Amino acid sequence: METTKSLTAPKRRFVNPACSICEDEGRVTVTLEMPGVRKEDLEIKIEGNELVVLGKRTESVPDGTFLVRERRSGDFRKTFTLDESIDHEGVDGRLADGVLILSLKIKEAALPRKISIR
Amino acid sequence: MYTNRWEPATAVDFFDSLDFFRDEMERWMEGVRTPEVRGIFDRTLSPAVDVIETRDAFVVSADVPGISKKDLNITLTGTVLSIQGEKKEEDKGDKGRKFFRRETWAGNFRRTLDLPETADPEKVSADLKDGVLTVTIQKREEVKPRLISVNVN
Repeated sequence: METTKSLTAPKRRFVNPACSICEDEGRVTVTLEMPGVRKEDLEIKIEGNELVVLGKRTESVPDGTFLVRERRSGDFRKTFTLDESIDHEGVDGRLADGVLILSLKIKEAALPRKISIR
Repeated sequence: MYTNRWEPATAVDFFDSLDFFRDEMERWMEGVRTPEVRGIFDRTLSPAVDVIETRDAFVVSADVPGISKKDLNITLTGTVLSIQGEKKEEDKGDKGRKFFRRETWAGNFRRTLDLPETADPEKVSADLKDGVLTVTIQKREEVKPRLISVNVN
């Protein structure tokens, strides 16, 4: 049943934004390129252990014919699975010039600890 | 955090996965001729561009996320439009930074587009908003469609 449903149901297509993930000083920085997305069109939520980023594009396309078409149209969507080391409360995001930078905090317990020898 | 969920995620979406792979292959083949920014195979240092011909202008839009106004240089020589710029990377000295995924790029780029002869190099305007650059080049007055009313008695 499930199979037939998913094969026939119209599916919304999303554009996968270019993404870079790096870890630095107890934080994980996620950079997502979402050109054309304004702050008010951005939705970031954590559901269970999933971080979902949805960026709607409201850009109006002028009426005419395409001479060159390389840009992908559609809304941006990216899902990340957060593991236990990430603090769900310490998520911080900022959007500038179509680039979203998310900063996720790594739990203290998951950070390497230096053990001193007596 | 570092493992990225495959989208579509379930086994019943097998045909979707095939579609996705085919799309990516096509885009990659296409990428040999026309550069595009993202995909699993391509990583071209050039922004993706759209050119739309409207009734009285040519509208060029380019995805330039993270590029500020001062790092962009747009020139129009005759009907050749050149978009040049530098995409800077947020640099923190790179020490101690561990990358898990790197799809974004930084560096210099230049994109040159030859516009049709009907473009008027005198009437250009550019606008940069939310990482999208829009350059509008008006068409020459003589080629714009005009409404001529004819009086029929």
